[in-house]
Order: sequence, then C-alpha cells, then structure tokens
Amino acid sequence: MKRVNLFAWIIFILGIIYFFLPLFSTFEFSLRMKKGVYSFEAYRVAFQDPKFYYNFGYSVLWAVLTILFSLILVVPTAYWVHWRLPKARPIVEFITLMPFVTPAVVLTFGLIRLYGSPPLVLTSTPIPLIAGYIVLSLPYMFRSVDAGLRAIDIRTLTEAALSLGAGWGTIITQVIFPNIRVAILSGVFLTFAIVMGEFVFASLLSWPAFATYLEEIGSMRAYTPQALSLMSFFITWSMMMLIQWLGRGAGRAEEIAVGH
Amino acid sequence: MLGVVKNIETRQKEGGASPARPQRFGSDWMAWLGLLPFLIFAVMFLFLPSASIVVRSFQDRSGNFTFDNIIALFTVKDIINAYRTSLTISFITAVGGGIFGFLLAYSVIMGGLPRILRSFLLTFSGVASNFAGVPLAFAFVATIGNAGLVTRLIEDLLNVDIHAKGFTIYNIYGLSVVYMYFQFPLMVLIMAPALDGLRREWREACENLGGTEIHYWRYVALPILMPTLLGTMILLFGNAFGAYATAYAFSGSFINLVTILIGAQIQGDVLYNPGLGNALALGMIIIMSLTMVGYVSLQRRASRWLK
Amino acid sequence: MAFLEINNVSKYFGKTTAVKDFDLKVEKGELVSFLGPSGCGKTTTLRMVAGFEVPSEGQIIIDGKDMTFTPPNQRPVGMVFQAYALFPNMTVAGNIGFGLKIAKKPKEEIEQRVKEMLELIHMPGFENRYPHQLSGGQQQRVALARALAMHPEVLLLDEPLSALDAKIRVSLRAEIRAIQQELGITTIYVTHDQEEALSISDRVVVMNNARIEQVGTPFQIYNFPQTEFVAQFVGTLNAVLAEIVDVKDGLLRFDGQQVHTADKLEGYRNGDRIMVAIRPERLSFAHEGRKANILTGTIKNITFLGSIVRIQVKLGESVFYMDTFNNPYLTLPNIGDPTEITCSKEAVLVLQQQPA
Repeated sequence: MKRVNLFAWIIFILGIIYFFLPLFSTFEFSLRMKKGVYSFEAYRVAFQDPKFYYNFGYSVLWAVLTILFSLILVVPTAYWVHWRLPKARPIVEFITLMPFVTPAVVLTFGLIRLYGSPPLVLTSTPIPLIAGYIVLSLPYMFRSVDAGLRAIDIRTLTEAALSLGAGWGTIITQVIFPNIRVAILSGVFLTFAIVMGEFVFASLLSWPAFATYLEEIGSMRAYTPQALSLMSFFITWSMMMLIQWLGRGAGRAEEIAVGH
Repeated sequence: MLGVVKNIETRQKEGGASPARPQRFGSDWMAWLGLLPFLIFAVMFLFLPSASIVVRSFQDRSGNFTFDNIIALFTVKDIINAYRTSLTISFITAVGGGIFGFLLAYSVIMGGLPRILRSFLLTFSGVASNFAGVPLAFAFVATIGNAGLVTRLIEDLLNVDIHAKGFTIYNIYGLSVVYMYFQFPLMVLIMAPALDGLRREWREACENLGGTEIHYWRYVALPILMPTLLGTMILLFGNAFGAYATAYAFSGSFINLVTILIGAQIQGDVLYNPGLGNALALGMIIIMSLTMVGYVSLQRRASRWLK
Repeated sequence: MAFLEINNVSKYFGKTTAVKDFDLKVEKGELVSFLGPSGCGKTTTLRMVAGFEVPSEGQIIIDGKDMTFTPPNQRPVGMVFQAYALFPNMTVAGNIGFGLKIAKKPKEEIEQRVKEMLELIHMPGFENRYPHQLSGGQQQRVALARALAMHPEVLLLDEPLSALDAKIRVSLRAEIRAIQQELGITTIYVTHDQEEALSISDRVVVMNNARIEQVGTPFQIYNFPQTEFVAQFVGTLNAVLAEIVDVKDGLLRFDGQQVHTADKLEGYRNGDRIMVAIRPERLSFAHEGRKANILTGTIKNITFLGSIVRIQVKLGESVFYMDTFNNPYLTLPNIGDPTEITCSKEAVLVLQQQPA
C-alpha cells in the first residue's frame, strides 16, 4: 500500500508542476520589463494603453450579448423539452454536440462563405460573431440548464403551478427561474469565461476583442502580453470559483430545505 | 395432476415497463412550434454553414460539379502535410494527455491522497481545460521559450541550452507540450467521476474469489473503464484537432495545421481556390464527425456499465 | 468443535465501536442469520469473517484454522453482496467462472462447473448474457452461483435481497435456503428484515448497538424474546410499562387493567415497574363468562390485511393491536364499540430492561 501511495504522490506533484510552472513563469516573465530588477512596469504599461480598454470593453460587450441571446434561446428550449417535448431530446442534444464537430475555424469559414454574399449579407453586422459565440458555448449552457431542470422535476412543479391556477408568466418567473437560478448562473459564468478568452471568431470576422488585441501586441512587444495572459487566466479562474461557490451555496440551500 | 398440491403465491413480474407518459393537452405540432426558435438558430448558424461547405466542396469556381477539390485533398503536398501534422499532434496529445490525466485522476481518487487535494485538483482542472488559445501560448513562451524561466534555469543549473539541442515550442513536439496543458485536465474531469463509479463491491468480490490487486485491474477495473478511457481520448483528439488560436499565436512559426490553412483561406491568402478551402473544411468535419460518433458510442457503452 | 468460531470479536473504527464482544459458534451446515437495524454491526461482523475488516480484538476460526489475519483472497469463503456486485463487463459465465479462472483451472473444468452452477440456480442457458440484461433477482442468483463455484466452506450473504421487490424477495429466499440445504454449506446471512431471518434460518443472532441481544432458533426468538429490543424488533408487539401488584401471583397493573403473567418475577418487588409484551395474535375477544386476564376497552380501528384482520383496541391510554384470522363469516365489531379482550397468562412476556 505504501508504494502505491508514493506513486500517487509523484503523479500528483508532477501534475501540480505542469499546472503551476507555466503560470509562475508567466508571472516571473511579466515582472522583468525593467532590466535587472523585478517590477510591475509591464502591468503599468499594459493598463495605460487605451487600446486595451477599447478591446477589453468590446469583449465584455460580446460576452454580455452572447449571454443574453444564449439565455433567451436555451432556457425556454430546455424547459420546453423537459415539459412538453421529451421526444425532441435526442435532436436537441445532437445540436448541442454539433459545435464539437464543426470547430470554430470551420464554422467561421462556413459563416463567411454563406453570409458574406447575397441574398443575405450579415458579415457587416456582429450577428455571425455573436452566433458563433452562442454555438461555442451552447454545449455548456444547455448542459447547465438541463441539469438544473432535471434536478427539480420540472413536470411536477409546472403541473402543480398550473393546477393552482398560475399563468405561464408566473410559472416561468416565480417557479422555474428561481429554482434553476444556480444552474443558469453556472452557464452564464462559463460562457463569460469562454467569450473573454475567445480568439478565432473575432480574429477571422475582424472584430475588436481582448484575445485578438493580446495576439497583436504579442507580435510587437515582450512582457506586457504575459501580464495580460495572467490576467486572462485569472478571469477564467474567478469564473470557475464563482461557479464552485454557487454550487456549494445550492448544496447548503438544499440542506436547509431538508432541515425544515 | 392427482395429489400434487401447488402452493400458489401472488407473483409479480420484476422490473415492469414504466407506465406510458400521459398524453398532454395541445396537439403535437403545437409543441414542436415551441422548439422553432432554437431550430431556426441551429439551421441558420450550424447546419446551413456546414451544408454549404459540403456542397461547395464539390463545386468549381463557376459552380459546376467537380471532384477536383476532393482529389486535391489527397494530392496537394501542403494539404497532406497539414493533415499529417494536425493528426500527429492530436494523436500525441490525446494519448499522452489521456494517460497522464488518467494517472492523475487515479492518484487523487484512489491513491489515498488527502481529500482536499482532490477538490483542489478538480477545480484547477476545470480552469486549465478552459485556459487555451492566445494566453496559453504566451504562458509557454514565458516558460520554455527562448528566454523562458525553465529554459534559463536549465541553462544556469545544468549548463545546457535546450534550444540549441533542438528543442523548440515552435514545432509539433513543442506545440504538443503546450496543448497538453488543456488536454490532461479535461481527461481528469471526465475520468474522476468514472473512477468514483467503480464499486467497492467489485474489488471485494474479486478479492473474495481469490483475486489480487493485479487481477482486479486486469480483469475488472480496466475493462470497465476502457470505454470511458478510449472515448475521452477520442474527445481529446478532436479537441486538439480543432484548435487554432494557440498555434496561430506562435507567430513566425511554421506549424501548418489544417485549422491554420483554413484560417489563411479566410484571411485572403489566396493560395488555393475557394473550393479547396471548402474541401479542407469538409475533411475536418468528417474527421470530427468520426471522433464524435466514436465518443458517443463508447460513452453509451460506458454508461451501461458505470451507473 | 464448531466449524466457524467467532471468538469475542470487537471492532473499533477510531472512537466508534462497530462490534463489541461478539461470540458465536456456527456448526457445519448451519444457516445463521444476523438480524438487526442498520448500523448495528452485523455487516461489519460478516466482513470480518470475509476478511475485509480485521478485528480489533478476538479471533475468527474456520474449520479449526485461525484466520483472523488471513487476507480475504486466501479464505475458503464465498460472499454474495447486497447488489450490483456482478462484474458488468463479463457475461454470466465469465462471472461464475471468474474465481476458477484466477485459480488457473483448465477451461473444460470451468465450463463444466459454470454449467452445474447454472443448473443449481435454475438458469441454464444464460451463459452469454450480460448482467445488465438480467433482472435484479437473476443477478443475485448469478452472484450466488459465483460465490458457490469455488466450493467455499463458508457462504456469506450480505443483505442479498434488500434491493429486490417484495415478492421476489420471498421466492428467492426460499430458493437460497433450498440451495443451502442441498449443498449443506455453513452459511451466515445478514439481514434487517425479521421475517426473512425467521423464515430461512436455523438460528438467528439479533444485534443492536454493536452487541448481540439474543441468539436462538426463530421459534425461540419470536416466542421468547429476552429483551425489549428483540421483542420490539421481531414481529409486531404490544409493549407496555406495568406495575407489579403481586410478585408471587404474577399480577400486574397498567392503565387500570390487571393481568397475570406466567413468567417468574424473581428479583422484583411489589410496586416495581417492568416492561411486558403481548403479541397481537395471542389476543382474542373474551368469551362470556371468562374471568381471568380480561382487558376492557373500545374498538379504535380495524385494518383488513388479507389473511388476518388487525383490530386496534384502546385500553385506557394505550392502544393494543389484536390480530385475528380472517374468515368470510367473521362478524366484526363497529368502531367505538366497547369490548373485552383476553390472553393466556403465558402470552404476557416480561422483558429484561436494556442494559444501561
């Protein structure tokens, strides 16, 4: 048993090194802008660039739009599949798997070819970009919401609400939404993390975004890209922590409910 | 039969079929109407773009039917090389990331490590598997690039210049090391619940029947995990195959991945005709579809065994 | 010497005591049940016999050999688990033959043995099915065959029927008992279902709070429970705290009622309070003219249970269950009617107080 344990420790430590060495190296690298001393000069320079705010602001805007339309699209659909159309589940699940089959590059290629010329020209609008982001986050968003709906037995709740005379507006806002809030927020944060780091769509469809800005300065400067990479990592990390924290909160809420 | 008493007890069939779902109000097509927004979105932004790629792969510049683009896929040297490079990297990182990810998941789930390390690793895997693209590329430049921390440390401590010895992150092996950063955490995330699904009873039944730890892994645990293991590796394969940003961010590199070629087509480096770009994308869709079919069917098998 | 000896075994997990001073001798060919609520230590004791847990104190001896510290894969013991313990990746034949394959037996011998075992469990022809294609009951029968394929000297069953439907449980437990008697294999059967324990065992060990409460035949356990716990746990029971009116005469009083008991009240004094119990089936309506052991009350409720009818009778503050056999000509009283019920002196059992 002792040897197995030692093996486990070795693998674990290797894993931790693989995780943290690049992060630590990036941090160390970002501090070396001034010759001979460690300083936060790279961060100062990075945050002084007005183009940083311009691009970062656009990424936030894309993320918000994506989340908004993704929710409008996914939540009612997932709810409908649970409540009225369980037999449509295979179709919807197949669609949510499609983004794996058509990677971002391929999808962009198709979108540009399709909507770059008449009859329907969309490439001058951000619609293909947002659509691409929605497709990209679709598996995560759908799965979060789907899991949330599954956990609360949506049929019974809806039927109970209907039998008590509730209208559809009341059911959605008062019954369904509060019960799957945590699941929806998980999907929201994950989508935010994905869109903030996404490069392919923005780059190939030529829209400003944080990742394309990062790539651009990467080819021109040293040190500041590392500072911003680290920032990007912490955005992802904090979104994941938020999701975890939410999940834990949900567990606690359940305990409280059981305690009654 | 004379003189034979039958003791009749009420018997009940086991595991009867679940009762049929009650029919709900409203007709069927009304219900499908509720799905319409989602379906329209999927058709406009998933199926039509994909279908147009398929159709245009078989068209020449003036829209006439041709096999030339498909033939070019298998004859133009740059394209063959791009596919070979993409497939190689995907294979290396799927197998490598798969094995290492599995061992890591095994270590925290079954290796007797403190429980806190387990939730720590799972959280971190969630972050790392989503940390790809441009920032990841820069992180590795800072690590094992020409002036990276590890490169300098090895030079200072061991007096070896790894880049002079032929190592570089700008070739397929270097890129594989980078890809591994998001590959093995994904494996950990999928394998951890699968390992949790191994029931204690299986191990004990094996022991009870005279088996050792080795028998258990050889005849029971590994065969049970195999569909998940292979399925996830296929998923990793597709994950690497579709990746674009990381390789692109290593500007000045000459790693010609399929995705990079397609990207170049979009950005107007008109090296080939547009039909060829479609054929490239079609090849990608086919390979990704195959990995998806493989993944889904193995996943189905796994879920039958691991409930 | 007994075939399986569990000698004064205790097991502690950190500060909690899972099993304390468990002492039992099992004869060859005997089927002994461990009966008790969950967490009483019965499964832990079984797992110590199987070798999955090592006792903190005491010994486990199988066929004269001390096996306290023998690893599980070297014990002549076959085990059937609660549920889902079949290897899902192997066919029925693969599962049953697994132990023999590990033991490197020749292929023909394994095939032969698998066939025999499938005959034994009445599932011939199921060789190539996978566990997920079988019903729960079939899975447990295969699990039994797998445990028996190695010719174990002791068979251990850990709540093998608890995941199954009620009806299947009844038929399968009879089948298990038949197979056990056919093979004459020494068997320990863990269950929390008292009916199951009573119906298939040669002897029953009732456990509670890590300790043995009582060991005896099903007949003894049911009819002569020695402790309040056993009386409460096994079967339905009317238990009531009574005051001793007359030690010599065995006269007791509760709720304004007086009953006699046939049990000796040695060591008690008049005025002491003791726990007494009466089984519902020993109570009946009092015939007119009967004087002794009459309890007067009112009918509170009547429940029809098929072969029996359970009548709740309110006696002062307490409610007694009375069971009577059903027959089509039964005239049942109305709820709220005053009534007199009775039982023999022997039916009034004096229970030991729980050791503090």
